Amino acid sequence: MTTTHPTDVTPTKIAILGAGRGGTALLDLLHQIPAIEIIGITDCNPGAPGLQRARELRVPVVLQVTELIQNHGVQLILDVTGDPALGTMLRSHARPEADVLSGSASRILWELVQHESTLQAELLHAEKLAGIGSFAAGIAHDINNPLQLILGLAENLEDETDLEAVHAQAADIIAAVKRTTAICRDLTSYARRSASHNHSLVSLSARLDEALKIARYAVGFHDIDIVKHYAPDAAASGNPDELLHVFVNLITNAIQAMDSGGTLTLHTAIEPDTVIVQVSDTGCGIPPDLFNAIFEPFFTTKPPGKGTGLGLYNIKHVIHQMHGTIAVTSEVGIGSTFTITLPRTAQT
Amino acid sequence: MSEFKSGFFVGGDACNGRVLVVDDEPDIRKVVKMTLQKAGYDVLEAENGEKAIETINSGENRLLLDVMVCDIRMPKVNGIEAIAYFRQNYPRVPLIVLTGFPDTDMATSLLRQGVVDYLVKPVEGEKLKAAVARAMEQRELAPL
Repeated sequence: MTTTHPTDVTPTKIAILGAGRGGTALLDLLHQIPAIEIIGITDCNPGAPGLQRARELRVPVVLQVTELIQNHGVQLILDVTGDPALGTMLRSHARPEADVLSGSASRILWELVQHESTLQAELLHAEKLAGIGSFAAGIAHDINNPLQLILGLAENLEDETDLEAVHAQAADIIAAVKRTTAICRDLTSYARRSASHNHSLVSLSARLDEALKIARYAVGFHDIDIVKHYAPDAAASGNPDELLHVFVNLITNAIQAMDSGGTLTLHTAIEPDTVIVQVSDTGCGIPPDLFNAIFEPFFTTKPPGKGTGLGLYNIKHVIHQMHGTIAVTSEVGIGSTFTITLPRTAQT
Repeated sequence: MSEFKSGFFVGGDACNGRVLVVDDEPDIRKVVKMTLQKAGYDVLEAENGEKAIETINSGENRLLLDVMVCDIRMPKVNGIEAIAYFRQNYPRVPLIVLTGFPDTDMATSLLRQGVVDYLVKPVEGEKLKAAVARAMEQRELAPL
């Protein structure tokens, strides 16, 4: 059985008046919610930032306020202009079946939106730190092995008389120390709190390779074959730290699904309007009855201490913030494929 | 035959015994081998549990392997599985665990299964040699 994550809810149709800071924040939040359809946004200033944002998100930009508020489908009008004259106009011109939220009510809504965005960032960080807890075994393995080599060689050097052997062993010690410091560097950079507005053009294959390094601490890659099909120029605009976190989670899940070995396939592709990242495993698969649940917060099938149940929930949030989508296809006993589709950004 | 010492079979050189080192890291096998060879042991290597089982089942090792030093986190057959196999099929061979990840629960469980020592990397050469020497005293001779 193969299926995708459904979003089969009849959406509430919303119009946004005002495309300044408040309107843009609302737009960014509301457009991620499947139960909401933004039928249009308007502003008397044609250069308002929210209008540009709306065009990127393919949300209709409407130039006439009256045209938007008299739209037959509109169920809720959000007025974030703070303009009293507009309030009067709404009372006389809006369709009676449409609810209107304006003034301090819409201001509170905007405050809640800001608050929600802070909480999401905290949640993402908390989940990442919880995940790092499971790295202990992998870190211990990767640090103690080079330490064993260093100690053994140093003990041997105490009474080694062959100068060539001394040189070779000293070089081995230096290489082992470098390996160990690389571990600390990777992990401290991964663990840091990601700056929320640190957006840039991110190379997807480079991030996937980095994620492979990090995921090795979380799970043993024993008996796993890794296949990479990268479109070298595949890039997306987003927060590089958050994208790394997404890939680490997807790879960790994939490896954990392949208890007795298998193949991990990482795939990136460039389409005319989008870029695609796929993480596939040949693991246990996801039973059809769990398909709707896996993206819900606190859902996990992992044993206690192995998963927070927030991984896929946070992934979905990050991807939606990047104006992308995530879908899964899976077959029990055959494997799963997670497909992320992101808007394509022109190379700079 | 009770005076039998495995070393007599190894190319005539006096030998303190034969040790199999099982670890997926070539560096670890190299440095452990270096330490134990200096102490007069004949050292064999295996890169995972599967290879370790192959090694002990091949030729004279069936009789002449004295002690095994085994990692836990390895591909193919891991240390836990290999140790279970060795305890069942070669209970006369004392097992020493040498792991990078100190885990009290695992140590307790392994010692209950008859593992004679549980060492955590990085281990000093003196400690490793002392553990192997103790294990050598505990080995039982293969029935001929």
